[in-house]
Amino acid sequence: MAGLELISDQGYRIDGRKPTELRQIRCRLGVFTQADGSSYVEQGNTKVLASIYGPHEPSSNMRSKISHDKCIINCEYSQASFSSAERKHRPRGDRKSLDMAAHIKQTFESCIHTTLYPRSQIDIFLQILQSDGSNYCACVNAATLAIVDAGIAMKDYVCACSASLAKGTTLVDINHVEESAGCAELSAAVMPKLNKIVYSELNGRLHEDEIGKVLDSVVLGCNDMFAVMERTVREHVEETVSNFTHS
Amino acid sequence: MLKSKVLMVKTRSGKILKIVREHYLRDDIDNGLNGVDLDDHPMLENDLISSEHYIIPDTNVVLKQMDVLEHSCMRNVIILQTVMRETKHRSAPIYKRLRTITQNKDKKFHVFTNEHSIDTWCERRPKESSNDYNDRFIRVATQFYNECLSERNQKAVLLTNDKANCDLAKKEGLLAVTVEDYVRNIVGFPELLDKLAKADEAMEVDKSISYPEHLKLSQLQTGIKSGRFKQGKLNISRQNYLEGKVLPQGEGSKEILIQGRMHLNRAVNEDIVAVEMLPENQWSLPSDVILDVSVQPGAEISESHAEDLKKKHGIPTGKVVGIIKRSWRSYCGILESFGSPDMTRHLFTPAERRIPRIRIETRQAKLLIGQRIVVAIDSWPRFSKYPQGHFVKALGEIGDKDTENKVLLLEHDVAHEPFSQAVLNCLPSANWSIPDEELRKREDLRGLPICSVDPPGCTDIDDCLHLREWTDGNLEVGVHIADVTHFIRPGTALDIEARSRGTTVYLCDKRIDMVPELLSSNLCSLRDDGDRLAFSCIWVMNHNAEIISTRFCKSVIRSKASMTYAQAQMLIDDATQNDDVTIGLRGLNKLAKILKARRTLNGALSLSSPEVRFHVDSETHDPIDLETKKLRDTNSMVEEFMLLANCSVAEKIQKEFSDCAVLRRHPEPPKSNFDVLVNAARTRGLELSINTSRELALSLDEAEKPAENVHPYISVLLRILATRCMYQAVYFCSGLESDFRHYGLAAPIYTHFTSPIRRYSDIMVHRLLAASIGADSTFSDLLNKQEIQQICNNLNFRHRMAQYAQRASVALHTQMFFRGKMVDEQGFIIVVRKNAVQVLIPKYGLEGTVFLDRDHQGNAVGTSNLEYNEDACEIVANGVLLKVFDEVTVQISHDASNIQHQRINLHLMKPKIEGISAP
Amino acid sequence: MSLFGNNLSDAEKCFIIHGIQDDFRTDGRSCDNYRTIELAVNVLTNTHGSSKVRLGNTELLVGVKVELGKPEKATPDEGRIEFHVDCSPNATPAAQRKAANKDFVNNIESMLVRTYANKIAIDLTSLCIIKGKMCWIVHVDVLILECGGNILDCTSLGVKSALQDTGIPRVVVKSGDEGEEEVELPDDPFDVQHISVNNVPILVTVSFVGTRHIIDATVEEESCCSASVVMGVTRRGRILGVRKQCGGSLNPETLVEMLEFGKKSGRQLHVALDKMLKSYEKGTTGYL
Repeated sequence: MAGLELISDQGYRIDGRKPTELRQIRCRLGVFTQADGSSYVEQGNTKVLASIYGPHEPSSNMRSKISHDKCIINCEYSQASFSSAERKHRPRGDRKSLDMAAHIKQTFESCIHTTLYPRSQIDIFLQILQSDGSNYCACVNAATLAIVDAGIAMKDYVCACSASLAKGTTLVDINHVEESAGCAELSAAVMPKLNKIVYSELNGRLHEDEIGKVLDSVVLGCNDMFAVMERTVREHVEETVSNFTHS
Repeated sequence: MLKSKVLMVKTRSGKILKIVREHYLRDDIDNGLNGVDLDDHPMLENDLISSEHYIIPDTNVVLKQMDVLEHSCMRNVIILQTVMRETKHRSAPIYKRLRTITQNKDKKFHVFTNEHSIDTWCERRPKESSNDYNDRFIRVATQFYNECLSERNQKAVLLTNDKANCDLAKKEGLLAVTVEDYVRNIVGFPELLDKLAKADEAMEVDKSISYPEHLKLSQLQTGIKSGRFKQGKLNISRQNYLEGKVLPQGEGSKEILIQGRMHLNRAVNEDIVAVEMLPENQWSLPSDVILDVSVQPGAEISESHAEDLKKKHGIPTGKVVGIIKRSWRSYCGILESFGSPDMTRHLFTPAERRIPRIRIETRQAKLLIGQRIVVAIDSWPRFSKYPQGHFVKALGEIGDKDTENKVLLLEHDVAHEPFSQAVLNCLPSANWSIPDEELRKREDLRGLPICSVDPPGCTDIDDCLHLREWTDGNLEVGVHIADVTHFIRPGTALDIEARSRGTTVYLCDKRIDMVPELLSSNLCSLRDDGDRLAFSCIWVMNHNAEIISTRFCKSVIRSKASMTYAQAQMLIDDATQNDDVTIGLRGLNKLAKILKARRTLNGALSLSSPEVRFHVDSETHDPIDLETKKLRDTNSMVEEFMLLANCSVAEKIQKEFSDCAVLRRHPEPPKSNFDVLVNAARTRGLELSINTSRELALSLDEAEKPAENVHPYISVLLRILATRCMYQAVYFCSGLESDFRHYGLAAPIYTHFTSPIRRYSDIMVHRLLAASIGADSTFSDLLNKQEIQQICNNLNFRHRMAQYAQRASVALHTQMFFRGKMVDEQGFIIVVRKNAVQVLIPKYGLEGTVFLDRDHQGNAVGTSNLEYNEDACEIVANGVLLKVFDEVTVQISHDASNIQHQRINLHLMKPKIEGISAP
Repeated sequence: MSLFGNNLSDAEKCFIIHGIQDDFRTDGRSCDNYRTIELAVNVLTNTHGSSKVRLGNTELLVGVKVELGKPEKATPDEGRIEFHVDCSPNATPAAQRKAANKDFVNNIESMLVRTYANKIAIDLTSLCIIKGKMCWIVHVDVLILECGGNILDCTSLGVKSALQDTGIPRVVVKSGDEGEEEVELPDDPFDVQHISVNNVPILVTVSFVGTRHIIDATVEEESCCSASVVMGVTRRGRILGVRKQCGGSLNPETLVEMLEFGKKSGRQLHVALDKMLKSYEKGTTGYL
């Protein structure tokens, strides 16, 4: 996009954030009754619902994949037709959604203690309600909270964040405008306490000299994200506990 | 705090989208008031405003009154984000200027991000237009500043020319002033008044003229979409300022001719316009008349003339219905001296012939007459014959060489200010020497018989050569280029400055360096006075000049001799000299001849342009004599090896970085471009074949053979004409283009590697090459093809401008040379036009127009006695036949009657034409 | 009418049926009671209109987006309204089974089209911009987030509220020079027109369980139901479109009774909905 200045001379981004600031985050656990675990995450105007079903007996179409020493993780990513500015015709099953589902599946296979749940299946369903950039990250964060809500054992929280580079400055947690400005976008999912990167993906070109710098910002962003997520979980647990004691 | 911003957008495909963007409000935005010490920056005193104050201009003030804001006395200005945003949207050049001021610390222009500040944000009201909304933003911010400043007993003053906004502001208790009132009351800077841009109403209504109204932008867009209008950049003819062409956007579109004041409808050269086609029976032909304002003020094509043009089959002709984007800039020129100097309204005549005269208002007319001045256009109302503008600055006495140099640099947008401190800070110290670690990293070639061959007086030597024979009979040939990129590191101020300058500009008496002199003439210049860092391209060749192997390395060299072409030639010819350098030179010379023959065989063109050199008086710097440049074997020897190095490097970087190599291509011109050349040659019985560059080269060589009735100089003229049929060669990024061919050199791939001191393209190529051999690391912009293409576009523009500036400088010196002289000299007709012939005088490399419709005093005598035959390239004037390539004698004199365009006048002496030739 | 069978035992079914006979349902409601309705509108800022409805354990989001298009040849002066229903896998893992999902979704879509996309329900001519050339196409997207029975009624509540919330940009038609017309967006993004929803029906499903009919059946009750009737009821009590569902059969007298019952419930529901929309305050629901 010609002429679009992602960052002003005064150091503010188009939406008024500073380069290292995340968007406004809101999250909630246990939004649904039917699912075993559910959560809702809002990163700015990117809004995601996550539900976890399982661990349960593998469904018929998964039978062939049953493993004797660990569980199957099944992931589906859908994007509501009204989620983007231009109406989407297919909520799921298109290439992008399948890719996204595969990436999320891969991310969680490496951090759920899958060996604790042999011969079972865990479903991770993600539903984007509104999309405004960094969809992958919001999905991972939502899924983590839903898994916590479902009480499934994980090695650590998984927090994801994205970053881009404009005029030599890294922009963290990029929104749709920044995403479509054509700069490189690096997303990563991190286990903040173990300080390990479980997933990372780069879209576009980034010079190798700059990868380190961008990745550092992403990790910092993930840590900020983690702080918010952990607080949410604690609050949720406190609330639940107080409900128990009162009844 | 979070707000969302809702936009309804209509996309290009006609979809209507609702877009929501987040909009964060913050409380930590710097309002620019903290830590500002008023004593250091005394506030501007103004009779209107009693207290010290900050100025907050609105968008229109910024757009219209940039010259006022740029004045050094304008300080303590708050530029709101709203204003920045709107300015950016409305005018890119003004935005660029605005950003430059805001980055200048001394100007104290603070940019306040008001739309993200919690104190100054306002929600859009229902039914509020976006203009009103923006105005409200500005008022709210002014209010905010007033509150911030009240405890310091200072005020914020809103500058606006918008009546409604001004009234609203006053109602809200704000200080709001129009720019005119403000500037009029500034204490101590009366000259600012001249810089005020004039409002849209006409200063003077010309009863004779009423231009058609311009259509609204939305109407234009609809029309362009439906195909009724064509959009394109207006190109005014250099010969006739009332005629222009528009090349509409889109593939395969044809140029549209636009003729006459009314059809041009206030469009100025380079504006982006919308054009409506005229019905076919009104199509016209570009006039072959040379219309020159400076000779005939107010000259226009007479109606009768236009009539008979129409009868012929015309080319697509149109009229301007609206302006999509103005490309107005500041223009150099002079104040017309008619009228009393006491009046305030004057006409300004730009030096650029393609720009109309401009009406300005100034109180300094007395002072300014006789000076070169700079003026900007503000508007062009419908009932004003000329556009209206305002005075920007004076450059100096007309005719003074410095002034004239300044004019031609300004007119060609050549940056010629001294290098800034930031740039100079990037330089190593003057007594820098090669550090040991650098020596260890590089190949030591100091023992080789390396020498340089350049034109006399050259101080920026960027290439050296060597040749030595190996015992196995093969030859090792090296081209060593100054390693400029060792000093110019990417992203530094020095790099950015060099990138924007793009090239060193050579004027006749002056060189405007691309990099500071310390580098260009000392550290990087490969002189024979010590060790230098170089980037070497070394081939192993056999005696048939066939390359056996090529390698590139960063090296240290010591030039054994810095020679001129003549000196080198003497060494080669002097059989008694047998040192390494001389033997090397002889070998190089031999190889060069083989290389050249091979290149020619492949279809490389050797073209020609008249080049002269001025001998300049060492005291006055005035030209005292001139000579045409002589070409020696050694010239072409150096050239051959440079070409070879360039080709080798181009292949290498293209192989390594196929997406982002900086290459140079020369597109093949369409056959029709050669029509003039072929016709002209045919008049002398010469048939030129133009199908391929090879055929053209061969037939040009063929024309060199002596023949009856053909003057030997004609072959040179043919080459000159052939050059003019070609396109310009351009730099480009290999990832964005598929055709790499260089037509003129008949090379499949080519680039520039050999002159990094004076061309930025070569610096980019050096970096790519260094990365490809692992001698240096890559960085992100080096591999960003969009970025590279943008730089290439700038370089192409700079090179073109440098070339024009150079030509203008030669023209200037030629004039000065002929000042007070009158000489008869032999010349050749190279182009025949409807009312004139173009004559080239080889001795002076001078080309000029001999008008056949005027007598020797410049009075028009009409065209009735002229018979023009376009296809035969001939014209009969009063019974005398003049044909292209005819040898004529012309009288050359300097004409200072028009101070703006002092000129060389040519008058035909032989053959003599009654009523036209000088007696 | 549920996406996935809930495997209730005969005893459980018997318990439900007996309860209904005594006008005392398993969750304590009587036969003509609805479960709690939670409603929110204007929840999705990037749509032209939206709503979120929770009816017991059934939850869905409705987003309305308008688009410029060409009117159908047969009706040159009318715009169109199109329905798309999607069942999120979040609602139930069974949504992943494509075939079952498709049937389920098609059933809802067809019912919505039948009751809404006609002139009586919505003044489609108000959606026309230039006769025969340009009109608004209103896309109504329903996203089911949780299935807890009585999806159809819940959907129609969502659709009605979302349509009422919908603001269509008030475009201006400019005639070009050569007879072609161009639409121009208003400068002000809030300059919108609303769709009149006065005659928009609400779907009421009356299920016949055992010997009685009930409204707003839960998933469990649906699995005991032998036949049900869906009808569109307008505010004034007009019935637009009726469909009988499920495997069993009905006596003609029972059908008339059920229609009458549905009509009465529908009118009450309209009143309740209007009240909710009026008293609605943002931020009262769990998320969005």
